[in-house]
Amino acid sequence: MSDKNPKILSFLCNWCSYGAADLAGVSRMEYPSNIRVIRIPCTGRMSPKFILAALRQGADAVWVSG
Amino acid sequence: MEYPQAVPLKYRIDPEACIYLQKGKCGVCQKKCPVDAVDFEQKPQTVNLNVGSVILAPGFEPFSPTGLENYQYARHPNVITSMEFERILSASGPTTGHVVRPSDNAEPEKIAWFQCVGSRDLNRCDNSYCSSVCCMYAIKEAVIAKEHVGESLDCSIFFMDMRTHGKEFERFYESARDRSGVRFVRSRVHTVTPVPDSDDLELRYVTEKGELKTEIFNMLVLSVGLQTSPELVELAQNLDIELTEGRFAATDAFSPVETSRPGIFVSGAFQGPKDIPQSVVDSSAASSAAGELLADVRNTRTKEKKIPPETEVTGDRPKIGVFICQCGTNIAGVVDVPQVVEYASALPYVELATDKLFACSQDAQESMSEMIREKGLNRIVVAACTPKTHEPLFQETLTDAGLNKYLFEMTNIRNQDSWVHKNNPELATEKAKDLVRMAVSKVSLQEPLEELELGVHPAAMVVGGGIAGMTAAKSFAAQGYETHLVERGDRLGGQARNIFHTAKGDSVSEKLEELIRSVESSDKIHVHMNTALKDVEGFVGNFKSLLSSNGNEKEVEHGVTVLATGAEAYKPDEYGYGTDDRIMTSLELDQKLKEDDPVIKGLNAAAFIQCVGSREPGRMYCSRLCCTHSVENALELKKRNPEMNVYVLYRDIRTYGEKEYLYRDARKTGVIFIRYSPDDKPVVKAGKDKITITATDHVLQMPVELEVDLVNLATAVIPYGDEKLANFFKVPMNEDGFFIEKHAKLGPSEFSTDGVYLCGLAHYPKPIDESIAQAKAAVSRAVTLLARKTVYSSGTIAQVDQQLCATCGVCVSICPYSAPSFAEEGRFAGKAEINPALCKGCGLCTASCRSGAIHLKGFDTDQIFSQIFGIDEAI
Repeated sequence: MSDKNPKILSFLCNWCSYGAADLAGVSRMEYPSNIRVIRIPCTGRMSPKFILAALRQGADAVWVSG
Repeated sequence: MEYPQAVPLKYRIDPEACIYLQKGKCGVCQKKCPVDAVDFEQKPQTVNLNVGSVILAPGFEPFSPTGLENYQYARHPNVITSMEFERILSASGPTTGHVVRPSDNAEPEKIAWFQCVGSRDLNRCDNSYCSSVCCMYAIKEAVIAKEHVGESLDCSIFFMDMRTHGKEFERFYESARDRSGVRFVRSRVHTVTPVPDSDDLELRYVTEKGELKTEIFNMLVLSVGLQTSPELVELAQNLDIELTEGRFAATDAFSPVETSRPGIFVSGAFQGPKDIPQSVVDSSAASSAAGELLADVRNTRTKEKKIPPETEVTGDRPKIGVFICQCGTNIAGVVDVPQVVEYASALPYVELATDKLFACSQDAQESMSEMIREKGLNRIVVAACTPKTHEPLFQETLTDAGLNKYLFEMTNIRNQDSWVHKNNPELATEKAKDLVRMAVSKVSLQEPLEELELGVHPAAMVVGGGIAGMTAAKSFAAQGYETHLVERGDRLGGQARNIFHTAKGDSVSEKLEELIRSVESSDKIHVHMNTALKDVEGFVGNFKSLLSSNGNEKEVEHGVTVLATGAEAYKPDEYGYGTDDRIMTSLELDQKLKEDDPVIKGLNAAAFIQCVGSREPGRMYCSRLCCTHSVENALELKKRNPEMNVYVLYRDIRTYGEKEYLYRDARKTGVIFIRYSPDDKPVVKAGKDKITITATDHVLQMPVELEVDLVNLATAVIPYGDEKLANFFKVPMNEDGFFIEKHAKLGPSEFSTDGVYLCGLAHYPKPIDESIAQAKAAVSRAVTLLARKTVYSSGTIAQVDQQLCATCGVCVSICPYSAPSFAEEGRFAGKAEINPALCKGCGLCTASCRSGAIHLKGFDTDQIFSQIFGIDEAI
């Protein structure tokens, strides 16, 4: 893992956090581009397997938000 | 474009400012526009429409404080209106959400809000009504300003009465004061003077204790009221509809959205100053009222859309089309779109990758459709803005091209890429490629999904036979639907039976009897008296309810349900209630006024005590109707005996909207208003001849003793909080026991549970006119469903692979919507199955299934894994 360039995978709930990420764009906020978003219908969809798979796949961090 | 939420969100030319239209030169916009959207030839046209009904929703204009010289609005840049402050707080506003004052763009340290500017004021404007919304928006602005600037920002609100009478508003007020630290000053500031050699303002005001104070603020926000514009007054004249004293459309409490002219309905702030939820209620109510009128011709002018048959793609190798949107320069200005297109074309199964200037434009949609047909594409990826707004549009294009609409994936390279990484075009381009790759791998695993068609049983059930329930039943019947009205008691009418007058002074009992008669005589309404709901099964469009009456059980089928279970008056254990007949609740006084009880004639003095059981810990809500009710009854007592001494002991008088006139008239007639604070409540002592009330007078700052013959306690409105009923329909209740609607602002008359609606006191305390409007609103929402005859379930739902199911029951117990159950018969009896009509597609069961037996269509495990596996190349 590189300290300066971490790879972050995020799982965002369609109804709240995904919308919030959209709003960050509408508000023209800026944040580092190290994040890749997977839209899920609800954080209830989250399975621990997804987090483990992401880490195994080389993600430095996994962010679940909902 | 007037504001970013404009519908349609399109620019228009201001003909007054356009050089081309004024002088015939320029035309740069036409030359620059890449899609030839600019047309200088457009002219206003007069279009004649034949309609059966008209709904007026023209809104309001904010009061202009230009004429109020003492507030310096026209002269000082740092005196602004609340509407202008909203723009300052807005991320899309002129300061991009930074709270700065206009004169020097410096962040203010102290801001003052002045309430009732252009409201409750006859001296300096003609608006003697209360604008209803300003107290709440001022608190909201102060709280948000503090969030933006930080704790240190000093926000002070100068007010007369704090009117937070809406649902959850009182708690917001409390938290603004106690947690956010907003200062509330009960005073009307009389002088504002600019501070020499600075951009600040000096305020002089008198405190509650009578001290004259001088304080300096950096900025001043005038909480301007709502008013009807002169153009609207003219429109009303042309339409020949009556206006009220405050120039709002005149309506009757029992038909709150009907104007004086039959067939013309009104909603929103033109009916009276009101907030968003109330306007939304009105608009639905007006459409229901119009729907009743036009029920016979419903669907006679509907055009049906032709949908081509769906192409069978199961088993075919994926042929993916990737469309990358430039969104003008929104995406292409940051992301290297041609590079992403090139990258996408090389991805597995991608048949075609191309870019579009605006993927959502009409021509782009058509060309997309054409390419699907020509190239035989069977999966589509659109990389553009957000699926939350645009997914349905692209899915429609798929449907039009004969492709199942679920063979689609959208990825967000604008809101979540180009807009947030505008200073890093290279990284943004890399991110766009990753997102496209992840979408491509997901969509290749996507299968066509089916939306289950469900019939809608064309009948309604209304629970509660009060004024809201009866109005709802009557409206359903008028629109042609069979309705079951379920009442647990032995009489129709609910709380309205106990009420003497409406705020407009009309007798309630006459209209109520009329309503009861029309409900009982309607052949479409089946009234079930003394009836309890024993059980409910089914789902939207197909409910089956078991009714029980005196031991007899009956099942009724209905497509929709309206809950109108009402509320009751709180019976207090304070102020000597229950120990003395002369101390009574408001409804008990109403009864005496109605019956013309001789006790009333013998009174020399009477007192009303407000907020009994409301706005207190454990019941932190305003009961909304009691101020108006008490003021109205105070006036009635004065009318019956002008010599009577009438006192109202209150915390804030909340006669919102045009009910303010009653408060004004009460003061004129000599009703004495004494304010008390919750930590120094009045003390009531019942003596033999008189009742003595001791309270601290807010003007004199001294204890006063009142000797009265009658005490009216304006007690709280308490909902029944029927948990069993809530569980039957899976609808939530708040901590006070009121039902929680789908959306506090935009969905006030419906639940999140499809097919279930609410109205009346069970939602929140409200007067009769608002209950009636909400009942009609609930019906309007319900009829949009009933009128469709069929509903479709979503395709993205969970499905059980019953061969793998271990019958552990986790899905059955975990689902908040009761969608999974054990199959009762067939080959897989005992295994879990999911009712597609109840499934909301959250995936909770899929994630919890230890056997991996549940698949969430559209978000299946292999699809999410394919996206996760897509990240190894990323970053």
